[in-house]
Amino acid sequence: MKKALLAGVGLSLLAASPALSQTITVWDWKSGDPVAMSYFDQAKAEFEEANPDVTINYVMQPNDQYYTILGTALASGAGPDVFLLNGGAQARARFEALTDLTDLSGDLVGLEEFQDEDGTVYALPISIQGFVVYYNKALYEQAGLDPETPPQTWDDLVAACEVVAEAGSAPCFTLGNREGFAGEFILSSLAASMLTEEQQQAFADGELAWSSPEVTAILETWVSTQDMGWYREGANSTSKFMDEYEQFMRGDAVHTIGLMSDIAHWKQFDDFLGAENVGVFRHPAPDMAFDEPRMPVSGGIGYGVNKDGDNVELATAFVEHLASAGPIQTFVNDAGVVPANTTVDTSGLSSPSVISILDWLEPYGVTTAHANVTAAELTEWQRQSQLLLNGDVTPAEAAARLDEVQAEARSDD
Amino acid sequence: MSATAARPATARPVRKPKKASYGSRAERRFAFLFVLPAVLLVLVFRIIPLIWGFFISLTDWSGLGEAEFIGIDNYAAMARDPNFQDSMVNTFVLLATLPVWIMLPMLLAILIHQGVPGGKLFRAVYFFPAVLSSVIVGSIFNVVLRFDGSFNALLGMVGIDAVDWLGNSSTALFSLIGVQLWATFGMSLLIFLAGLSTVSKEMLEAARLDGAKLWQIWIFVVIPSLRPIIEFVAVVTTIGVLTNMFGLIYVLTAGGPGTATTLPEFLIWLEQGRLNRPGYAAAISMVLFAFMGGIAYLQIRIMSRNANI
Repeated sequence: MKKALLAGVGLSLLAASPALSQTITVWDWKSGDPVAMSYFDQAKAEFEEANPDVTINYVMQPNDQYYTILGTALASGAGPDVFLLNGGAQARARFEALTDLTDLSGDLVGLEEFQDEDGTVYALPISIQGFVVYYNKALYEQAGLDPETPPQTWDDLVAACEVVAEAGSAPCFTLGNREGFAGEFILSSLAASMLTEEQQQAFADGELAWSSPEVTAILETWVSTQDMGWYREGANSTSKFMDEYEQFMRGDAVHTIGLMSDIAHWKQFDDFLGAENVGVFRHPAPDMAFDEPRMPVSGGIGYGVNKDGDNVELATAFVEHLASAGPIQTFVNDAGVVPANTTVDTSGLSSPSVISILDWLEPYGVTTAHANVTAAELTEWQRQSQLLLNGDVTPAEAAARLDEVQAEARSDD
Repeated sequence: MSATAARPATARPVRKPKKASYGSRAERRFAFLFVLPAVLLVLVFRIIPLIWGFFISLTDWSGLGEAEFIGIDNYAAMARDPNFQDSMVNTFVLLATLPVWIMLPMLLAILIHQGVPGGKLFRAVYFFPAVLSSVIVGSIFNVVLRFDGSFNALLGMVGIDAVDWLGNSSTALFSLIGVQLWATFGMSLLIFLAGLSTVSKEMLEAARLDGAKLWQIWIFVVIPSLRPIIEFVAVVTTIGVLTNMFGLIYVLTAGGPGTATTLPEFLIWLEQGRLNRPGYAAAISMVLFAFMGGIAYLQIRIMSRNANI
């Protein structure tokens, strides 16, 4: 009798165990990053304290293999409860696997890259991302340029690069295009100012062809920068995130196109060069569609909930917490992230560079061209950007090839 | 003469030749148990995924949700895809260099076998890269071959202009091939050394006594004796270069510039991982499998034919 009773209790405990203790598995490529760790730790600690029966399990996957691993896991039905996504093409490709989070997105900006055409939000952005030009003020002074008046127009920038070239101490821009990432950055930087808002939307929708005069002009500008000798030779064998920014941080180049959040951004450059030596400006362009350069901005990274997960309700609650003001405040303070949550206080950020960047955020919403084209177009642009740098194709030939990819990719939509 | 030999031939009836016996049925069943794990592993991890991959290649599956059957559309798309075509051209260029992959280790193995001074040291040095992972090899050669790297610095010392070995469309693939060759020829060299140890000493001695010069001994005695080894190295190298260069491509060139160093296996990864097109990636995989199968079949046929000579 006693044995039977014990067995019954044991079975009851086993049956009840899922309710007693639940684990939310969260995939990302950042939770091991020392500067971001405080954000992840705080979100986990606060959520577990409020939900004593829940355990948050972060699993950091290798960044460069992330989408391959995630795709395989989701396809086999073994995906995590929550996963981090880049805004734009990578997020859109996974909407089918994600839960509708529209009701939780009230305080957030940068949603466009995480929502479908109907406005349904599938991931909550935690940062916003964009491109600016950082410059080394000490090298400006050495070249005889005024470090407090950075270029505002294309002519200013061309003139500044000519002065830098005459000084001869460092290339005007450092460039790493081994993976085609420099091509991505320049595309968005130039498109933000060279395309009108209507053209930007048409390009994002696939209705403005790469061979249109407006987009071809961007490709021609990219080639002209190479012809003007802005870069050190070997850009196509230089990696962007390993080598390009290292060159800038050790003072081997005057300018670099960097990010506003997260990595390769003002905080990282401030740490190496000193905040007083880092300047920032919005990338000017020839034939600008606006009175002054625009800063391309979009939702950076965000969390989605696997709709086929075992704990959708709890996972949704945790994603809401990850995007909430408390943990994000820590993310902002420690990692230098520009937050997607508008209730977060950014007044504590003292770097001159980020103060400028925050000023340029209003009005929010100049689209980031590279994040809004299809993955197939983006990959082909990475290839063509390399060929353009090498002089293997002309802008017209590159645009023609990109038109083909654009047409095929849009027909698949 | 032994007693057995003295026995009259008629003392025992002549038996009809029997079919070769392979043991009792129970023994055969028992033997089957030994091969069963290997068969199951091949079935579960090779054959079934292969069949599954073939079916995926006939769909437009994005990795999520339902897959729609589209027949041979993916294969038709491949015929129009310039990136796939470029990857196949790169494959043929790679295969065209196969004689170098065989000749280099063979010649070095013959030299070591001939007893050149420091032969053991050379053998160890040549083999060393074979124990390094492709990612490590790639990282090393990233530093060596970059525009401001040590190789260009060396060339500069003798007055040769620097070249962007990995970033120039006309040099990137050959640079990649050179690095892979450096990284793997040590293994082929060891195989050739093992083969050389089986070359008949009597034949070598006979050739010497007949007055053959060293090069004549190599051409007419040593290399013909190594023929099965050459064929084996050819098959293994072909399969190796078509399936094991992903790591090196990933670290050194990311397939670029353009498609200059994109091989089918890299394209498969790109289509599956970055472009979310597992159906199309599976179709490329099937073509690569058939291509490799065809080459391996031809090479094995040649090997078998020579084995019968």
